[in-house]
Amino acid sequence: MQVKVIFGEENLTEDVPEDYTIKELLKKLEIPSETVVVKKNEAIVIEEELIQEGDTLEIIKVIFGG
Amino acid sequence: MNTCSKCGNQQIIIQKKHSGQNLCQECFIESINEKVLKDTRKYKLLEKGDKVLMALSGGKDSVVALHILNSLREKNIIDIVAVTIDEGIKGYREEGIEIAKANTRTLGIKHRVVSFKEYFGRTLDEMRGQDDTRQDDTRQDDTRRQGDTEPRHACTYCGVFRRWILNRVAQEEGATKIATGHNLDDETQSILMNYLEGNINNLIRIGPKSESRDERFTVKIKPLREIPEKEIGLYAIAADLNVHLAGCPYAGESFRREIGEFIKELSRDHPTIMYSTLRGFDKIKPILKKELTPKGNTGECRRCGEPSAGELCKACSFLEGWE
Repeated sequence: MQVKVIFGEENLTEDVPEDYTIKELLKKLEIPSETVVVKKNEAIVIEEELIQEGDTLEIIKVIFGG
Repeated sequence: MNTCSKCGNQQIIIQKKHSGQNLCQECFIESINEKVLKDTRKYKLLEKGDKVLMALSGGKDSVVALHILNSLREKNIIDIVAVTIDEGIKGYREEGIEIAKANTRTLGIKHRVVSFKEYFGRTLDEMRGQDDTRQDDTRQDDTRRQGDTEPRHACTYCGVFRRWILNRVAQEEGATKIATGHNLDDETQSILMNYLEGNINNLIRIGPKSESRDERFTVKIKPLREIPEKEIGLYAIAADLNVHLAGCPYAGESFRREIGEFIKELSRDHPTIMYSTLRGFDKIKPILKKELTPKGNTGECRRCGEPSAGELCKACSFLEGWE
């Protein structure tokens, strides 16, 4: 299934399998989950949240290190 | 299904691994507000009538601290004036300044923007440039220093000059406290860094509230000291605050960053590690402080008049070195 991913300036379309979680998506995109907050269809969700067909996921980086 | 541990709402935004608590958006915001205000009372960070100088970079930590402390200002318990320091980091600081201005405008808080250029005659970028011209090309480790001619890390200059300005602006504004946005990650990094570097003088100064014997140093407080950085980021998004989300271009070079990554890595399998580091340190600190606080009175910097253990304060010794 396809989902829309917004990460900073990037707008991506990602193909993910059924029963895929935010945590798995972050791992696939190589984004450390402890540095971001994720919104699914404009609502903040936890990383165990399941992704559904057509979802829009906004990944907001909140920790930059240093 | 996971539901909010406080109200039963099914839309949770955080599962706290260290406590097992699940919270919805509203209860999470409320819990952070309560925790910060509880710590403020517990550590006696503020007293009625305090005038607080908020060190406001525009980043998530200082903006969150400003908004929570503002609840005390609205109750006429304290007054707040905010200051943003423009270090002069091209392409980075400008946005933070605008965001800081927007936040203080919204809250109706007096705000000053002061700069390294204005107080020291040069920007942080220029300070770095001066150092670069003094180094030989074989330099590999930016954190090494052997005497005054060796290069220092940008964070060293930034920290020294920022502390100097904050103290000076606090005096100019008649502030009784300086509040900073330091969080749990910052504190555990500082504990580990100073311990590993054997910097005991700095180690024994770590705490929720500075305890200088010298009255010329305005007391510094850290209301967010027990809140993990990730939760501050989550709070900023959940409360829809206007914050500057960007990394300092100089941070990548720092030892602090290395330590931060090490602690984050440990925290994945040991989610309580930052809390236990802080708790353990807070328990032994009074003994360390009693045994290891340097004796002797603080004098006055002959150049700027600020309190200083030596003839020159750290900021002025850098400045004289460049002249």
